[in-house]
Amino acid sequence: MTVAVERRTRNVTAALLASPSLRLVGKRLLMAIPITLGVSILTFWVLNLVPGSAAQQLLGVEATEEQVRALEREMGLDKPAWVRYLDWLGGAVTGDLGKSFVSDQQVTTLLGERLVVTFELVILAMVGSLALAIPVALLAAYRPNRLFDRLSMVVSVSGLSVANYVLALILVLIFAVQLGWFPAIGYVPFTEDPVENLRTMALPAAAIAFPLFCFYTRFLRGDLVDQLLGQDYIVTAQAKGVGPWRVLIRHAFRNSSFGLITVVGLNLSTLIGATVIIEQIFAIPGLGQLMVQAINTRDMMVVQACVIVFAVVTVVANLVTDLLYAVLDPRIRYGSS
Amino acid sequence: MAAVDAPVATVAEVDAPRPRRAWARRLSLWVPAGLTAFVFLACFLGPVVLPIPAPVGGNVLESSLPSFSPGHLLGTDPNGNDILSRILHGGRASLFVAVTVNLIGLAVGGLLGALSAYIGGKVDTVIMRVLDVLIAFPSLVLTLAVAQSLGPSLTNTIFALAFFSIPAVARVARAATLSLRELPFMTAAELAGTPWWRMLLRHIVPNIAPQLITFSMLGMGTVIVIEGALSFLGLGIPAPNPSWGNMISEGQASLSATPDLVIWPSLALFVTVLAFNLLGEALRTHWSGR
Repeated sequence: MTVAVERRTRNVTAALLASPSLRLVGKRLLMAIPITLGVSILTFWVLNLVPGSAAQQLLGVEATEEQVRALEREMGLDKPAWVRYLDWLGGAVTGDLGKSFVSDQQVTTLLGERLVVTFELVILAMVGSLALAIPVALLAAYRPNRLFDRLSMVVSVSGLSVANYVLALILVLIFAVQLGWFPAIGYVPFTEDPVENLRTMALPAAAIAFPLFCFYTRFLRGDLVDQLLGQDYIVTAQAKGVGPWRVLIRHAFRNSSFGLITVVGLNLSTLIGATVIIEQIFAIPGLGQLMVQAINTRDMMVVQACVIVFAVVTVVANLVTDLLYAVLDPRIRYGSS
Repeated sequence: MAAVDAPVATVAEVDAPRPRRAWARRLSLWVPAGLTAFVFLACFLGPVVLPIPAPVGGNVLESSLPSFSPGHLLGTDPNGNDILSRILHGGRASLFVAVTVNLIGLAVGGLLGALSAYIGGKVDTVIMRVLDVLIAFPSLVLTLAVAQSLGPSLTNTIFALAFFSIPAVARVARAATLSLRELPFMTAAELAGTPWWRMLLRHIVPNIAPQLITFSMLGMGTVIVIEGALSFLGLGIPAPNPSWGNMISEGQASLSATPDLVIWPSLALFVTVLAFNLLGEALRTHWSGR
């Protein structure tokens, strides 16, 4: 009995180890480590392009030479850059990102509160753009080159040319100033008042989501139409007498969804980057706002942490996309590609 | 792979809707090309040819004039500067930054990607991993970091934006070169003993150029938008020099009272980016022969 169980577990382990998805997962995980390290080195290097000026900038031009030297020693800025990097990396691995030069708070504490806010904004924008793009693309592909299709293409091509900060201001002008449906700026925590929270998040999320919606619609519509025009499995399904909607959704869309996942993954860094400027416009206390504030006050420790968090989140998000792909795509799951 | 795809493509051609008329196809290329040319001409020649005031040092007595005022077609800002003039001069800066950044991206990124694919092996792995690191940054975040470190100026903006233009172009160039490598003419050239630099310049570059140019047209739009974002946040082209980004940012303060201050530069930004996007799209269709 026990031998049988043991053999079975061994078989399962062997099967898992041999599974192409799992091997891919492992490979991608291993690749994410050097990328993250590279990201931190690059950030450190970029922020230290002008050496030793942080203390001077904090104290202002009237500070004496001794004062600057003292502050540099206190902040550890007198050490060479690579020593500071290793110090910082050692701290970062144990969850200590140092102290803010300006407010003297732990950087991790500052980041913690902000991350949740930005996370909510990103999720809202992503879900919103996809929830709108999928039905619009399906409707457009249902009758290619007809009115709805043409209309959706015009909207998505022009939508891709609108900068999100411009869109944000136009949304404020229409929906906050003219109509008064949503507040122009401000933020209410979700735990305090969920409805008010969603009202304050609606315009910023829309400003981030709209260009993405356009991008996804265009991609998905193109992919669907390409398939409908000549893939054998579509012709087979049509010949069997499968209805047009069913062909579109069950046969074409299912296949396009992998491409869509890749596109969503590739766009995540754009999405995350967009929060920086949108949070600034709507006065939302997220990571992006923290970063811009820190840049303006020359709070290098905080800027550094923010940049790295943004980059690491992008790396992780891309990793998740790859993994999702490995789990969903049967060609990778069974290793026949 | 290509051999398998070929029959599918023929089916698509047969079933495709009837081809658009020749004039419609030509129009879809020439309209965006004309629009792009118009934007360049307006920004670079406009202030020279047209009788419009300087973009800075306006008269305070003429501050905040509404649009379509005599002498100030698009009105003036709170400092009395002519908005049309500021838009055209701001456009010069935006276009200059975008063109320079894309030329750097094309030259450095294109060569890097093509070399990486052509040499292959360890060199390819190392180059691509380094570019992976650069791609991991959201472009605006990396640009902000560079701008913060070097301080706002035109040169630093170009430097910061080139940082993320290079890896994107390199990836496109690499993919294009990889698909070239298998083609017979490449093998023939190699067998004839062509040196690597000649392979690169005479055989690879001309063949990947259409794809790269298409991509850089879309890149022009992206660079203009991000440059605007940098200036919007006060880290791009420093005030009082005009840029679309800082004009929109200055107008934001009085959005409900004088929306014109935001609308005109926004419109300029939109038309320019749209022109580049449409041109890129038209070139793509043109070169893919569809």
